Amino acid sequence: MAGTGHAPLRDDRDILLTVRDLEVEFPVGRHEVVHAVSGISFDVAEGETLGIVGESGCGKSTVAKSIIRLNDIKSGSIDYQGNDLAHMEGEALRQIRPDLQMIFQDPISSLNPRRKIRDVISEGIAVWGNTKGSWSQERIEELMVAVGIDPKFGERRPHQFSGGQCQRIGIARALALDPKVLICDEPVSALDVSVQAQVLNILEDMKARYGLTLLFISHDLSVVKNVSDRIIVMYLGKVCEIGNADELYENPRHPYTRALLASIPEPAPTVDVSEGDIEGELPSPIHPPAGCRFNTRCQHATDICFTDEPVMQQVGDSDHYLACHHPVEVAVSVV
Amino acid sequence: MPDPQLTVEDLYVRFPTSRGTVEAVNGVNFTLEKGQMLGIVGESGSGKSVTAKTLMNLLPRTAEVDGNIIFEGDDVRAVAKERRKHFWGVKMTMVFQDPMTSLNPVKRCGEQITETLRYHLGDDKATAKKKAIDLLEQVGVPEPSKRVDQYPHELSGGLRQRVVIAMALACEPSLLIADEPTTAVDVTVQKRLLDLLDGLRRDRGMSMILITHDLGVARGRCDDVAVMYGGRLVERAPTETLFADSRHPYTEALLRTIPRIDQPSHTRLEPIAGRPPELIDPAEECAFAPRCRYAQPDCLGTIPPVGGVRGQHEFACFHPANTDRGRQALDANLAAGQTVTGLQIQANAGVN
Repeated sequence: MAGTGHAPLRDDRDILLTVRDLEVEFPVGRHEVVHAVSGISFDVAEGETLGIVGESGCGKSTVAKSIIRLNDIKSGSIDYQGNDLAHMEGEALRQIRPDLQMIFQDPISSLNPRRKIRDVISEGIAVWGNTKGSWSQERIEELMVAVGIDPKFGERRPHQFSGGQCQRIGIARALALDPKVLICDEPVSALDVSVQAQVLNILEDMKARYGLTLLFISHDLSVVKNVSDRIIVMYLGKVCEIGNADELYENPRHPYTRALLASIPEPAPTVDVSEGDIEGELPSPIHPPAGCRFNTRCQHATDICFTDEPVMQQVGDSDHYLACHHPVEVAVSVV
Repeated sequence: MPDPQLTVEDLYVRFPTSRGTVEAVNGVNFTLEKGQMLGIVGESGSGKSVTAKTLMNLLPRTAEVDGNIIFEGDDVRAVAKERRKHFWGVKMTMVFQDPMTSLNPVKRCGEQITETLRYHLGDDKATAKKKAIDLLEQVGVPEPSKRVDQYPHELSGGLRQRVVIAMALACEPSLLIADEPTTAVDVTVQKRLLDLLDGLRRDRGMSMILITHDLGVARGRCDDVAVMYGGRLVERAPTETLFADSRHPYTEALLRTIPRIDQPSHTRLEPIAGRPPELIDPAEECAFAPRCRYAQPDCLGTIPPVGGVRGQHEFACFHPANTDRGRQALDANLAAGQTVTGLQIQANAGVN
């Protein structure tokens, strides 16, 4: 599993955000480092929803946090409308940040329990002032209505709301500064299934209404498929496979993508359940395997997988790219 | 027909709080046959974990419990004092959601397994350690003789949960209660843990209660599935029947609200309207009525009793889905544009 190479980058579309060779490392004492993200490249077109799936430790949250510069970046570039977010500092970075907002996994702990929700939602506006026309107190009410929270509850505090409502308040807060890109890090993982659909529908509605571009991170493959136009599968800091959401699930080629799809309780019809039996544990990100990072657990691994890192290449002529020396050949499914 | 291994009759659990009495479990009845795997599915607050904790005698002292629990001929709630020490954790054991909090971080994994063996079975140190290594091997922990001397923080989440399962299996239980055993782990680990539990149950002829919020997990592994809502068991049926021909409107709504992997992307989801039921002083009515598209005036007067075919397909609803009565109720509500509780519904909602 590699994921070096720029094959998946597109130049024919309205690209809003381009991440190139992003590398993130975290020091862990005694001169060792965790290789959290090791050279990944992808882009997001305007108005698109890009899903990122993978198991814990694959680096999906690190990618999201790097884009809004919540952690240090070792190398690589993040191009957003001609600005390199990876190398911006100080006031320039501050000026661009309202464009990129984030919602988090735990809806309750991401809201300050001591503040009224009206203040929580309007804090961004309070910081920025009404410097950009559309930011005003009326906008707060409009946003609350848009996410289905009655503005008359604005004086209440977060503990008076359910988890689903708190997540909707979190969405309203993220939208208050009129962002272009909304990064959702596991936004429905902490919610019960009956409210999960409400939040996912609201995200779709907000995307259409405010013309958002979404980066949606989740470990739940069904949820990611539902919201995404394009999906990235990550493993141990690398990209395995990128593709159009329907195409990727219809025709998964990377052994790891197939293992994921076979592991879910109701496996995808395109894979065999036995492909989910990947042995062993996730290798340490401090000493990731040489060659393809999935080689320690892959049923198809041969010598080359231990020496050469596979490069991203296109599958046929569709929007589907993978990094594997031995992609799984599948019969074209008849639908 | 022999007596079921476990019978739960009219179980009520209440917690007095400063805001009023929380009615966590409200008259739950079910039976479990030997060797059976029963899934209990429900959302937070549905009473599934409280039911399990009642079986295991793990409720706080403030809980008020009422009802009968018969396990292998013993009345669980009246186990004599001298037998209590060796009742729970021997024949009936439990595995919890978070393996890190169920393990003692300052004790080696082996000690945590041998503790059970030495306390309940009176094994000596050497025998217990040998058994512990054996158990770790059975639950698929690689290099068990090395792991036995490691601390929980040295193991991955999946391995820790295997150690917890080994602890639960130590005294050869005949019933294992697993409360969200795979919620804290990744999908590939989840699959291996569920395969393991399923295999152990078959090899040992053990019964299992699998508590989960994930309908998919229950579907793949359980013989029977029971759905809980608002402290009540609202439907129980053999797994495939429940999924193919659900009767309770809550089960139906739950199945429709989940994104499915075989749907194209951007398929509009059908949320369940309204919010989860209030457990403090609930009204004497069907708990799901305020969110139900089938609700009729009779749903508000009384709590629907559990009907259907006993032991086959039981459900607690006056206007069950996929029946003529249910269809009539839904058609009437659709014509009116709302239900008796004022829930606005539209004709296109509910069509796949």
